[in-house]
Amino acid sequence: MDYQFDFHFLTGKADMLLEGLWVTLQLTLYANAMGVVLGFVLCLMAMSKFRMLRWPCQLFIEFFRCTPVLLQIVWFFYCIPILFQVYIDPITMGVLALGLNLTAFNAEAYRAGIQSVPKAHFDACVALGLKSWQQTLYVVLPQSLRTAMPVLLTNGISLMQQSALVAIVAVSDLMYMGKSIAVDAYRPLETYSLIALIYFLMALPISHLVNVFERRQDAAMQR
Amino acid sequence: MNTAEVVVNMPPANAMEAGQFIQLDNVFKAYNNELVVMDGMNLDMRADDRLVIIGPSGSGKSSLLRVLMGLEGIQGGDINFHGQPYIKSENNDSKVVSDELHSRVGMVFQHYTLFPHLTVMGNLILAPMKVHGKDKQSCIAKGRELLARLGLEDKVDYYPSQLSGGQKQRVAIARALMLEPELMLFDEVTSALDPEMVTEVQNVMMQLAEQKMAMIIVTHDMHFAREIATRVVFCAGGKIVEQGTPDEVFGNPKEARTREFLDKVLHLN
Amino acid sequence: MEIDFSIIWPYMPVLMQGLWVTVAITLGCAIAGSLLGFVVSLGRMVNNVLVSGALKLYVEFFRGTPLLIQLFWIFFCFPVVLGISIPPYVSVIISLTLYMGAITSETFRGSLKSIEQEQHDACTALGLKHSTKVIYIIFPQALLRAIPPLLSNIVSLFKESALISSVGIADLMFIGQNISNSTAHPVEFLTTVAIIYFVVAFPLTRLVGYVESRMLTRYAI
Ligand SMILES: Nc1ncnc2c1ncn2[C@@H]1O[C@H](COP(=O)(O)OP(=O)(O)OP(=O)(O)O)[C@@H](O)[C@H]1O
Ligand SMILES: [Mg+2]
Repeated sequence: MDYQFDFHFLTGKADMLLEGLWVTLQLTLYANAMGVVLGFVLCLMAMSKFRMLRWPCQLFIEFFRCTPVLLQIVWFFYCIPILFQVYIDPITMGVLALGLNLTAFNAEAYRAGIQSVPKAHFDACVALGLKSWQQTLYVVLPQSLRTAMPVLLTNGISLMQQSALVAIVAVSDLMYMGKSIAVDAYRPLETYSLIALIYFLMALPISHLVNVFERRQDAAMQR
Repeated sequence: MNTAEVVVNMPPANAMEAGQFIQLDNVFKAYNNELVVMDGMNLDMRADDRLVIIGPSGSGKSSLLRVLMGLEGIQGGDINFHGQPYIKSENNDSKVVSDELHSRVGMVFQHYTLFPHLTVMGNLILAPMKVHGKDKQSCIAKGRELLARLGLEDKVDYYPSQLSGGQKQRVAIARALMLEPELMLFDEVTSALDPEMVTEVQNVMMQLAEQKMAMIIVTHDMHFAREIATRVVFCAGGKIVEQGTPDEVFGNPKEARTREFLDKVLHLN
Repeated sequence: MEIDFSIIWPYMPVLMQGLWVTVAITLGCAIAGSLLGFVVSLGRMVNNVLVSGALKLYVEFFRGTPLLIQLFWIFFCFPVVLGISIPPYVSVIISLTLYMGAITSETFRGSLKSIEQEQHDACTALGLKHSTKVIYIIFPQALLRAIPPLLSNIVSLFKESALISSVGIADLMFIGQNISNSTAHPVEFLTTVAIIYFVVAFPLTRLVGYVESRMLTRYAI
């Protein structure tokens, strides 16, 4: 290999990269906020007694889980403006697409969490005369959150990685900036390596947190 | 405690001499260098002995069996088998010195530990084929014969998940017997079973007893202990506190700790 | 603007061609990646720090960075580093295989580690040699346990493979997007493409559940 590495030119692009990084962080944070909250609501609706509520919600979940995220993003960017005759700024649109995708995956995580709550606890709630919303808020939510937490975090990290896909529809996130720099400077090797490293380092603390959670849960199980 | 004390039950004239079967000499074992479970333990077992080990929970009964099976190391002392070195403590840990002697010992566990991906027959023939290099046909024939003796002839092609607890445990016994061991170790083999299945497993063990199989049995079932044992050993605090014939230990325990323990468990029953 | 789904029919054969490319690349990379993943999972148990460390870095990196960058990196940088030109489809096959290898190695590692200590004890009690234990007891059980998560990994790969459209491979996503651009009917075509992906992926996710429950009743593992 006789390639001459040159990382030096990247220092001049720092502000572009930071700008992109900020967009990526916004996408990740907002979509996660949406996914964590709406995911739980969707999960409850998908487990509802009423078929007319349950079925559409289940379809929503399965559809988002069984199609490519890239397609979902492209669909939102091209079809929403046509279908609803609205203009939405790209970052909001990105948050919407990524957030709804995460909502579907998180709903599944919550469902697994709720199903891990022992049947006896539901009986106990009835015996204690707790109202249905009290049962959900004080008994089901805390326990299922505990089981679901590692999965929610993992989903959150993969969402950050998936957020790179908005670059394909020209949202100026970290990936998009990297792509433009790589093309402008004819230096894909250095640029993409740096971008990959940034994504990797951002995910690192959170995946570490997941490990800690899982280990603690294993320990709790043994008790 | 020295070896001479240990042999309480005088053997009949034709039995093997002391020190010729399993012999533990001053065995020391601790988990993580701090939890002592065998504290200079001496034990002498003859080929016609059926030892039942009793003692409080956590007194190291399972540990003793696991050491004899080579599943756990010891940090001090030696174990002989047939007068030859079987397990030696070296460099603060131990190893099974003789694979040949190891293959003369079989063990049955509390939780069956059958191989879930193999059928009953698959479980039985794996070790004789792979360890002793026997041919498949003779192993299968032998397996069938054994299963028939244990009342399991119609379960040959079942997977373990399709069997009841009692059936699983009998298959586990058959699997160990396939290797024709001289000594069988049973660690609370009925305590995971529903009450109605306990008898079918205990009957198989009584069958083996009638055939003079040497056994070491850990159980909390004092009634069964009394029935099957030639010698009862009470362990506590890493030491053998008392041993003797079932009548001696159950009928007239000498040590206060034995009495206390028996009072507790017999009251529960 | 009128929404009219009947315009998609003439394009169905082309879309099916795209689906074929997607399925072929998914299957090829799933098989190659799973083999790689199995070897990697074993390599990570080796007592050599250098080997297990390097493999860990590989796995963490491919799991911790966006697949899109991996695709771009291998597409644009491999040729530069190696000084040879690589055809696009070879490049994406390398990417997806390396990605799948990293993902499945974790699946196999999990299933190998999930074999209980009791099974190892039973092998020792029967006097089985280490190699016999691994080949006849550990591997079969670990592989059986790995089947459902492995199927899930393959479904994920099927979806993720849509990214190869971004480097110009004519898969289902690429063709769908091209037609939607050239006909200016994104709603009809993108929705159709989504339904095609769904129709393939959804039954597979159900299959995972079915296989899992079969395993449970048959082997209790
Ligand atoms: N692998 C291990 N590591 C650390 N400590 C252990 C291990 N195995 C057993 N112990 C501890 O050693 C002590 C003796 O355990 P052992 O299982 O031999 O007792 P036991 O007499 O069989 O008890 P039980 O009647 O409950 O089966 C216990 O305090 C146990 O917690
Ligand atoms: Mg025990």
